[in-house]
Amino acid sequence: MSGTSPEISTEVAVLPQDLVAEGTGGRPQRPRRPRRNKYRPVWEEQPSVAGQVTKFVVLAVVVLAVLFPLWTVVVTSLSTTQESIRAGGLVVVPGDLTFRAYAQILSGGVVTRAALVSVGITLVGTVISVAVSVLAAYGLSRPGSFAHRPILFVFLITMFFGAGMIPTYLLVSSLNLIDTYWALILPGAVSAFNVLILRNFFMGIDAAILDAARMDGAGDWRVLLRIVLPMSKAVVAVVALFYGVGYWNAFFNAMLYINDNTKWPLQLVLRSYVLQGVTLPGSGTGQVDVGSGAVTGMPVKMAVMILAIVPILVVYPFVQRHFTKGVIFGAVKG
Amino acid sequence: MNSSTPRTGRLADVEVGRRGFLGMIAAGAAVVGVPSLLSACGDGGGSAPHGAAAPSAQATVSAEILPSYIPVEYVKPDYPSVQGSTPGFEKIPASFVQSVPTPPGSGQTFTAMTPLWGTIPPVDGNQYYAAVNALLGSTISFQISDGNTYGDKLATVLASAKDVPDWVCIPTWNIPPRFGSEIVPNLFQDLTPYLAGDKVKDYPNLANLPTAAWKFGVFNDKLYALPFPGEIITDATFYRKDLIEAKGITVDVSSADDLLALAKELTGGNVYGCEDLWITATQIFKVVPKWKLEGGALVSRFETQEYRDALEWIAKLFAAGVVHPDAVAGNTGEAKTRFQGGQSLISSDGLGGWHEALRDNLGANPGYWQQPFAPFAADGGTPALFQGNPVNIFSFLKKSDDEARITELLKLADVLAAPFGTTEFDVINNGVEGVHYTKDGNGLPVPTELAATELQPTYTFLVDPPVAQTRVQYPGFVEAYSTWMADAAQYVEEPLFFAMQIVEPPQYASLGQPFTDLEKDIARGRKSLTDLDAAIATWKSSGGEELRAFYQEILDAQ
Amino acid sequence: MTDARLTEDAAAPQPAASSARRRGRSARSGVPQRKVPWTTRLRRDRSLLLMVLPAIVLLAVFAYVPMLGNVIAWQDYSPYQGFLHSPFVGWSNFERVFDNPAFLTAVENTLTITLFQLVFYFPVPIVLALLLNSVMSPRVRTTIQSIVYLPHFFSWVLVVTIFQQIFGGAGLVNQTLRNHGIDHTVSFMTNPDTFLVLITSQAIWKDAGWGIIIFLAALTTVSPELYEASVVDGANRWRRMWHVTLPALRPVIVLLLILRLGDALTVGFEQLILQRDAVGAGVSEVIDTYVYYQGVIYGDWSFAAAAGLVKGVVSLALVLGANKLAHVFGEAGVYQRA
Repeated sequence: MSGTSPEISTEVAVLPQDLVAEGTGGRPQRPRRPRRNKYRPVWEEQPSVAGQVTKFVVLAVVVLAVLFPLWTVVVTSLSTTQESIRAGGLVVVPGDLTFRAYAQILSGGVVTRAALVSVGITLVGTVISVAVSVLAAYGLSRPGSFAHRPILFVFLITMFFGAGMIPTYLLVSSLNLIDTYWALILPGAVSAFNVLILRNFFMGIDAAILDAARMDGAGDWRVLLRIVLPMSKAVVAVVALFYGVGYWNAFFNAMLYINDNTKWPLQLVLRSYVLQGVTLPGSGTGQVDVGSGAVTGMPVKMAVMILAIVPILVVYPFVQRHFTKGVIFGAVKG
Repeated sequence: MNSSTPRTGRLADVEVGRRGFLGMIAAGAAVVGVPSLLSACGDGGGSAPHGAAAPSAQATVSAEILPSYIPVEYVKPDYPSVQGSTPGFEKIPASFVQSVPTPPGSGQTFTAMTPLWGTIPPVDGNQYYAAVNALLGSTISFQISDGNTYGDKLATVLASAKDVPDWVCIPTWNIPPRFGSEIVPNLFQDLTPYLAGDKVKDYPNLANLPTAAWKFGVFNDKLYALPFPGEIITDATFYRKDLIEAKGITVDVSSADDLLALAKELTGGNVYGCEDLWITATQIFKVVPKWKLEGGALVSRFETQEYRDALEWIAKLFAAGVVHPDAVAGNTGEAKTRFQGGQSLISSDGLGGWHEALRDNLGANPGYWQQPFAPFAADGGTPALFQGNPVNIFSFLKKSDDEARITELLKLADVLAAPFGTTEFDVINNGVEGVHYTKDGNGLPVPTELAATELQPTYTFLVDPPVAQTRVQYPGFVEAYSTWMADAAQYVEEPLFFAMQIVEPPQYASLGQPFTDLEKDIARGRKSLTDLDAAIATWKSSGGEELRAFYQEILDAQ
Repeated sequence: MTDARLTEDAAAPQPAASSARRRGRSARSGVPQRKVPWTTRLRRDRSLLLMVLPAIVLLAVFAYVPMLGNVIAWQDYSPYQGFLHSPFVGWSNFERVFDNPAFLTAVENTLTITLFQLVFYFPVPIVLALLLNSVMSPRVRTTIQSIVYLPHFFSWVLVVTIFQQIFGGAGLVNQTLRNHGIDHTVSFMTNPDTFLVLITSQAIWKDAGWGIIIFLAALTTVSPELYEASVVDGANRWRRMWHVTLPALRPVIVLLLILRLGDALTVGFEQLILQRDAVGAGVSEVIDTYVYYQGVIYGDWSFAAAAGLVKGVVSLALVLGANKLAHVFGEAGVYQRA
């Protein structure tokens, strides 16, 4: 049934029912017209009041548990050093507010360039990783295929046995990738975990559809591109998100492999702001202080955190859009 | 999904990152821990493979290889050095002398790797670099690395010979294992033929560096390292003089009991007397850093009575409820914030923290003042302060057969080591007038906004002039600092094996670890001194006795 | 050719989400297997192999070649001498891993934490995902999602600081108590006995929101017709959840469970190091911190490599075991007997 009735639009129809206990047991109720939630599918019953309230309370608690500390982080990032010192660290009640911490971080062009570097690495890296992973996952999704298990184990093993820091460095160095952006993309390009997730979803696709396509003469590439991928938008989006976040947050590889400071990605640069104001042994003498009057300490650390989060906040809605589209091709499973 | 989620595409990062502990911990925590790391790692902190040179051979330093000490003074200090204390200067001289009249460089570019705890400066159009390079005559191209993960960076770079830059900075707390025995002789340049004895006269500013600093850079009886000289006293216990006196309390602490009583008096409401004062405890109870001679036999720090007494006292301190709960919970990273915010009134810190606190607080809180306690002993007797390493950071030149290259690098080092009162010192530390700072009414340099981005410590990590206190912009600070240290200097003692580059065999490296945990546990009342006895017994049987024999050998060879 | 693969495809285990029917059929129920020569299979599956190739190459170069570096576990490794010249020391590094009494504590703590979190932390994202999915308005849903995953991006330092700020000795809770004259101090952050609860609640706060994402993706694979059909059959909320929704999540849950078990020896590092002093090493020492304090900070790469290998072998065994267990319950698991 390819319902096109407005109540079962693909946008909203894939909502499973509430967890709320059914008050009357067993029988579906007629929708009560005047108070009917327009997003509720036709076949779903109206939940009980107790259920609604519980749900609301639980979600409210969850959201508040996150919002309150988030509020603290934002307020602290907008405070002066003195204000944060007075509050003993994190500022809860806003006092003196200033954008100084952000201004300090964003001035000088170092952060903007690093942000561009990060964006580039994330985009290129995510595309490569997702492409390679999707291919590999599909290639591994037919359990009878040639060398299926050994190849699967090749992936699995990498989840349990890592290489040390020094051997990896020596490898990257011997490939002359030191100080190149590829050193930040290639070593981590394939995550066996993500491949397994994709594979899991691919294997869950109804075999009948694939068989039908194959009977029509489609080869594996065709099946992958024309049938499987359009059905897997959600999981590919998730994996792309995971990879993207991974690339965006990475700093350790850059610390090791990039010597040229102009090539530093954003996270590494941001961390250096957090390190300001550190007392070194034996640093009691020597130069006159640089950056006197600069904001240091908690406000800077919090501003750094916020700056790191903002891009994800921007990107996530695009990913999220894929979560509400259901399986359009779903035939009734036999 | 567990919280470390290594699988989501960050496998390399987190797997590797797990080894980069110092990289994981935010700034404050790591560095406040550094003094304790310093003592845990010991002098040098390196380790030798089996079959390394005999212990005694490693530690000998023949007098001939050390550079002569030829002090040069451009400005007379207002508070001269007393028994090695840091001299203080109340004024910036109106004019400077250029100690190296012609820039010695030949126009080449050299690569240098240094750590940084601060914001990365831009390279293009950086006027600070341009100014210093003009004084040098050559260009030093920096590969700045994140300070907290510098140990990991060093470990990898030093393992890959072709990636080693011309000039490498190595903090003493990041010394990799097998450093003295393998890395130094194979990767770095032996400087003895260039600097020993009177040869150092070619480099007058290097000759100005104290001999102890050079001594610490000697490995296997050869000189390798250029030093960043340190102070004789590195840590002190501060109290918030402004806040305490405002309460009407006069501070007069001359024994451990006095300190405890003061802390109790100060605790109340949301204010706590102190932070974690373990370092203080080790100082006032005169706990040796590693070994002590008692009746001709070597006694380990952990076996000494002083260590026990310190533990007993710290347990009392915690039990009295005067330690700020966040410090009890191990959050030492924010100790400075709490102390500066007045939530705790006594805290131990590196001496460098003094001026930084003034920098951060005087602006908004002109009455802010912290003062170190005059040294005292737990029993009220004569205090003893064990001197830390004479050098905390040093740098090495990459091995090269090109004599001209090494000579040039040393000449550049000569420029960088120019002391207070020279043009070079002024430019390196303050930048260019009008660009990085402007002179205020009193002739004091006031940094500009540009200074915050361009002027970061880079050259200072390569080589430094002898210590001097020149922070004249904080009223009263130089005087307080210099007089305090001049007074404290009389109590400074050299511990056993002071300034020796000793590489312990690697299997003993983690012997001291259980005691670090024990110190925390006993302080917080989770364990008691009987557990200490058990730990000592374990220590002895799992290598402690062998370690004792190892050090005894070194001692006998002196 | 196509026939043969079709047969084999039909012989593959039924996708779990496909039907509400009782499963438990064995994978190869009653379908005759034709012996297909491997050359034929190779030719038939060449596209699939080609697809896997790029990933394999990347892994071979960047994962497996450096993995050879683990040979240092049997050596007294010196970075300068390198892999080829460092002296061989047999199993002594491995012995050093087990020798220490702290090791047993570490293992004990690791397993306790894993088990506790498996019971109390693992289900939370699932429950939250189901809860969130039952929210009708998409805008509300998206907003809540976007808020709830944010803590994932906070560093552990910040998370511990926030907890400290609320539950610490000088934190909000205690301050409120003090202001109301109540004498009792909540010592949640420093009590070794409640440490398990503490770190689990921290983990939940930080990562549960992020963890729901994958379950939400799984929930989108459920066809709405199934719900309609089940309603027609007379299913109420709970039965719909049991027969339609949960089966949709089942493959993902099983996969994650197996992988989590394989990860059982890794329970967090930063989080535990940050709070080590607060509660003592007795409850906070886990395998990773043990390896760290015994070897890594002293640059003892051989020790770390040996420990890593031990962990890897045990984890692999756990995954294989868990996978077999999944088969017993009729689940596909990570891989099947092909």
